[in-house]
Amino acid sequence: MTYEETYDATYEKAHDATYDESEAATTGLAAGRVAYAAGGRLIVDGITLAPRPGSTLGLIGPNGSGKSTLLRLLSGVLEPASGVVTLDGTPLPRLGRRETARRLAVVDQHASTQVELTVRDVVALGRVPHRKPWSASTAADERAVEEALDRTSLTDRAGQSWHTLSGGERQRAHIARALAQAPRELLLDEPTNHLDIQHQLDLLNLVASLPVTTVIALHDLNLAAMFCDEILVLKEGRAYAHGTPAEVITEPLIAEVYGVRARVTPPADPADPLDHPSVRFLRSSPRPSS
Amino acid sequence: MSTSVGGGTRDEAVGGTRGTDTGTGGRLRGGTSGGLRGALRGRLRGGLRAALLGLAGLAVLFLSIAFAITIGPADISVPDVWSAVAAHLGWGEAELTPIRDGIVWNLRMPRTVLAAVCGAGLAVCGAVLQSLLRNPLADPFVLGVSSGASTGAVAVVVLGVGGGVLTVSAGAFVGAVLSFSLVLLLSHTLGDTVDRVVLSGVAAMQLFSALTSFVVLTAADAETTRGVLFWLLGSLSGAAWTDVWLCAAVLFAALAVCLLHARALDAFAFGQDAAATLGVHVTRVRLVLLCTTALLTATLVSSAGAIGFVGLALPHAARAVVGAGHPRLLPVTALAGAVFLIWVDTLARTVLDPQEVPVGVVTSLIGVPAFVVVLYRTRKTT
Repeated sequence: MTYEETYDATYEKAHDATYDESEAATTGLAAGRVAYAAGGRLIVDGITLAPRPGSTLGLIGPNGSGKSTLLRLLSGVLEPASGVVTLDGTPLPRLGRRETARRLAVVDQHASTQVELTVRDVVALGRVPHRKPWSASTAADERAVEEALDRTSLTDRAGQSWHTLSGGERQRAHIARALAQAPRELLLDEPTNHLDIQHQLDLLNLVASLPVTTVIALHDLNLAAMFCDEILVLKEGRAYAHGTPAEVITEPLIAEVYGVRARVTPPADPADPLDHPSVRFLRSSPRPSS
Repeated sequence: MSTSVGGGTRDEAVGGTRGTDTGTGGRLRGGTSGGLRGALRGRLRGGLRAALLGLAGLAVLFLSIAFAITIGPADISVPDVWSAVAAHLGWGEAELTPIRDGIVWNLRMPRTVLAAVCGAGLAVCGAVLQSLLRNPLADPFVLGVSSGASTGAVAVVVLGVGGGVLTVSAGAFVGAVLSFSLVLLLSHTLGDTVDRVVLSGVAAMQLFSALTSFVVLTAADAETTRGVLFWLLGSLSGAAWTDVWLCAAVLFAALAVCLLHARALDAFAFGQDAAATLGVHVTRVRLVLLCTTALLTATLVSSAGAIGFVGLALPHAARAVVGAGHPRLLPVTALAGAVFLIWVDTLARTVLDPQEVPVGVVTSLIGVPAFVVVLYRTRKTT
């Protein structure tokens, strides 16, 4: 398949009618032609998506391509200028903040605090949307917190101050907090930034193993290829391509979207779901080689 | 001591290993695994402890009041003071002369109770604003309320605004409300972020301080200046029962509103976006809490002047003791503020007897060293 054909196929898929509100309206998180403008510029320009429940959707694209803004639209923190974000067919504003927070959780790049909190305190924040203002924590709250700590291997650190955690542990604590919300949808904005490779892999393995629908913005194309079921490529706020990692992560697309040269090794066995394309970037030659 | 966000007391599950009070930064002995059963047991134990802590705090508060009212320039014996109070509360007969009875019941008692109410209110406002604005330097006066109140009071005292109908308190209250409205309007126009609220508050503070200074220096004689200065520094000397009832009513209403939003305040720990994704209506909660704290501060300031330091320091001290979870932090801060200001006021009116030191001066003179000690004991060693 030539680049043109690949491009057409993936671009078509991003704008495919079967991948639109009609289907999206029924299950899970969906966005229908959402747009957002700031400073007279469209940051997100008519994105439509509906990740399959339980799957992991990766958002990739250069800086300023609208990944973070799209995630903020999906979480309801920002309201789209046009278009709609729905959970099981109900628009977020109609669902309400609290109800949204009970099933959709967000993990940011590096949310920090000056407040002196223990790891358990941070994880327990995830129960805020589930609790009434005056009531003490219930057994269900306790269980959710314990399970979230256990799942992220933070039980031993529960009593420790949040400020003493390493970067990787902090992100794990945030994921534990998100899990304590008992979400069905999890949105992550470049959660592996500033982590070393081992912690990046640990964290993404953890995320991929969670039984929730995940939308994750990632910088690293190899990580995106490894851990995402599907990838949506953003360029200047638009959906540039959409498909499986093998369909999307190609040399021409990388050249087109990022403007860099790369060698892409396709998966050896396209039928193996754990196999994935890998990307090797090339130095740009200082002057044209003869 | 233990801490917990969200009012529960779950960290007991790790065996209470968070040693905030161990002095040399030994707060980080790792928690042992608790498990669900431990968590539940800890919850009960922690709940009991919170209740005990609350009862102990109330006991200290009542003992402080009982002690503070026995002190004063008039030579009235301790049993006489208490029997006079008991008589007013409906037990037994008072044997004091009406004058001495009046000293106890109409001077000392309202003054002491007003000290408690002001201390509690200012400390709670500080705690709420520090969390809401994510700024450890925030205090009840960060919204420009105190300087607005000062200008209002000065306008009444020096310029005679209101033609004698408006009392100093009423003038102060009007000034405070005007100043806070200006802050809200400014911060809304300037972008409505937390930073803009703080900066608008600082701007309003400067503006109204300048107005106050201008009025005092151009229009007031020496005697009026002295009176105004005394008021500006905060003083409980004019306390009457009407002030007490008004302030107490506003305090309890404001406390109820703040406690209702205690969990939302917890959620602000990681910023407004994080709070929003935890289901908090950020704009609504912020407006409600800003208005509540401003109204409470305005009421207190119009009765007792701008008593500094309590609202800045007491929340930090309380946090160091019970942790950052607001369902517990707010009541503890209120109790601590109440007890603190009772003792400081007692000192303020006795230390240079018969002269009285403005209570706002003493809060800082005593508070700063205590504050440093608390911060030192809970410093981060990393």
